[in-house]
Amino acid sequence: MESASIAAGHGAHDEHHGPPAANVSSRVEAQFLGMLLFIISEIMLFGAFFTAYFFIRVVAGDEWFPIDGISLPKAVAGVNTAILISSSFTMHWALEGARNENRNALCVGLLTTFLLGLTFLTVQVNEYVHIGFSPQDHAQGSIFYGLTGLHGCHVFIGLTLLSFATIRAFRGHFTAKEHRGVEVPGIYWHFVDVMWIFVYSTVYLL
Amino acid sequence: MLNPLRSEQEAFRFLLYVAAVAAVVVGLVLLIRAL
Repeated sequence: MESASIAAGHGAHDEHHGPPAANVSSRVEAQFLGMLLFIISEIMLFGAFFTAYFFIRVVAGDEWFPIDGISLPKAVAGVNTAILISSSFTMHWALEGARNENRNALCVGLLTTFLLGLTFLTVQVNEYVHIGFSPQDHAQGSIFYGLTGLHGCHVFIGLTLLSFATIRAFRGHFTAKEHRGVEVPGIYWHFVDVMWIFVYSTVYLL
Repeated sequence: MLNPLRSEQEAFRFLLYVAAVAAVVVGLVLLIRAL
């Protein structure tokens, strides 16, 4: 009875009558389920690295930076954090542009988000060059490069998705009704920012 | 209930909540350490 009413609801939308196809759930959207499973796997991946971090600091009780007189560049990373967070605002602005048929806001918002993300990644690479220790020097160095590098890889993937979305936006592929190609990279980009807040708070500040 | 996987708008709001909570927690920890 319930599935029949759900199917009727879907039918009105998709002009399809009767129960959903055998390989389609009537309760969970495929896109939502895919994103849910992806985010869960990502949380487990970051969780493994955070476990190593907390093991060193809490269980083993080893010192955290400064080590051998080398400190982590909190101020530079703080500015970089502000750059990354601001890129989420421009991403949101771009999506609002897509929803309101404002093509200029969509294109400029996506391009700005891409450039801010690229700036973040460039600053991080520059930080690696000048930081003064390498991953093999000590366990703390391994964790530092592991966590920030893992996040950097996610930023790189996000930039790749953003580049596709930006090119498509300039070609006029998105409308107020159909802009999933911006929505999904947007969700991913905000997730990457959320993970950076955890990384910056634990690795640099605490 | 806020579901950051449902739409970009909700993901953005979730990000703002996380940023606010992280700022409070980090501020409190640093304050307690300084005392």
